[in-house]
Amino acid sequence: MAQAYVIVGASLAGATAAITLREEGAGGAVTLIGAESEPPYERPPLSKAYLRGEVPFDKALVRPPTFYAEHGIDTIFGTRATRIDAAARFVELDDHRRVSFDALLIATGARNRRVAIPGADLEGVYSLRTVQDADRIRAEMTAGRRAVVVGMGFIGSEVAASLRQQGLEVVAIDPSKTPLFRVLGEAVGQRLADLHRAHGVRTIFEDTVAAFEGTRRVAHVVTNGGLRLDCDLVIVGIGVEPAVDLLEASGIHVDNGVVVDQHCRTNIDGIYAAGDVANHYHPIFDRQIRVEHWQNAIKQGAIAARNMLGHAVAYDEIPWFWSDQYDWNLQYAGFHTKWEQLVVRGRLDSDSFLVCYVNDGRIDAAVGLNRAKDVRRVMPLIKARRAVHLEQLQDDSVDLRSLHASP
Amino acid sequence: MAAEFVTTIKTSEVPVGGLAAIDVRGTRIAVANVGGTYYAFDDACTHEQCSLAEEGDLAGTTITCTCHGSEFDVRTGKVLAPPAVLPVTVYRVRVEGDVLQIEV
Repeated sequence: MAQAYVIVGASLAGATAAITLREEGAGGAVTLIGAESEPPYERPPLSKAYLRGEVPFDKALVRPPTFYAEHGIDTIFGTRATRIDAAARFVELDDHRRVSFDALLIATGARNRRVAIPGADLEGVYSLRTVQDADRIRAEMTAGRRAVVVGMGFIGSEVAASLRQQGLEVVAIDPSKTPLFRVLGEAVGQRLADLHRAHGVRTIFEDTVAAFEGTRRVAHVVTNGGLRLDCDLVIVGIGVEPAVDLLEASGIHVDNGVVVDQHCRTNIDGIYAAGDVANHYHPIFDRQIRVEHWQNAIKQGAIAARNMLGHAVAYDEIPWFWSDQYDWNLQYAGFHTKWEQLVVRGRLDSDSFLVCYVNDGRIDAAVGLNRAKDVRRVMPLIKARRAVHLEQLQDDSVDLRSLHASP
Repeated sequence: MAAEFVTTIKTSEVPVGGLAAIDVRGTRIAVANVGGTYYAFDDACTHEQCSLAEEGDLAGTTITCTCHGSEFDVRTGKVLAPPAVLPVTVYRVRVEGDVLQIEV
């Protein structure tokens, strides 16, 4: 049994792992190391209710600040881990301290992708990942101001919605044909674009930013398509990349994140990874996947902890997430990169539908707009990995739970 | 005012495995029928206030708020799965003839 459990990354995955280690009776020291100075918190509210000032930061905390000391979890917050020495079994911090480990969890998460757009360092150009980022944006969110959102993935879409809800004028730019084009495809993306426009967002697709202009502060966004947009602030949301700098020369296998098996184990004994950073083998989909969402962080963090304690628990959750925008509840479950058939339950031109991404007659994934129950009920069908009756699937009068029971 | 049992809806309005939402003296309460036993609890999920009667899926004594996946034990209100952190308040239920009475 390990004597020193160290977790790098005081993320939702990292914090959940620390809590689970204690809940499951870890005997030795548990140390949670995080670059941010705040206690671990959940990020979903940062682009939604917290950004709009509807909930206090306390509500986003994974546990109350005093919890960790009370439960024998040593915390080192506001300190970045800079290097892992897998052979000598220590983590080096940015204050040159070294923390020795017997078992290590890498839960460093992801960081925002940066682009070399001229003017990206002007005042008023933001990205959103941390609560401090959210606070900076929030301080600028006055009704009537003009915002440009660059990138209409999940974060961009949610931020655009929150800005509109706070009465700002919003222009959204994305290189694809629609919001969330790469994940959800054109048909669903077009519907989401319509809905954003119905909420007053001006959308510009198939165009990219050439430059942010202004003297000290951003005043214009210039696009490669030749547009020049006046603005007061810009939020860039063009995706994230796994935070793996500290693993350089560690010998830990990195390829689109930290490569782990279904037990969250890296190629080096006693070293694990979980959360956004973990490119994990998924036994249901029989391939490596990396998931950048809340459910993966919390559930994989817990599984990793149990495996650090000597169990052999496979992580096989069906990826699932929600994205609340305006008064819509958008949810996705499963994993897909392509699809042979798109099966629609309900009408795509309505405000409530489920779209299933089907290959070989099986549902690989589904996205629901205001279809929370259907998304929840389709998850066992995705997990079962077997063909379903597609006619029944698209028949709105059929309860998806009854499909599950059919052979 | 002391809590008392208030007559609400007929038992037949909540089928086995089903849910219903009722306003009881200004409080919106959800009722679940688990194999003929009725459980009452606050209808608003403690995470983001989705209606558990409308958005909830009941399996045994577990209700899943499908908005964001929180799970509660309908017998105790206890959180079984996040993102909810706080339990839902539960109320005592009794059957009088063919009606449900809930203590508020």
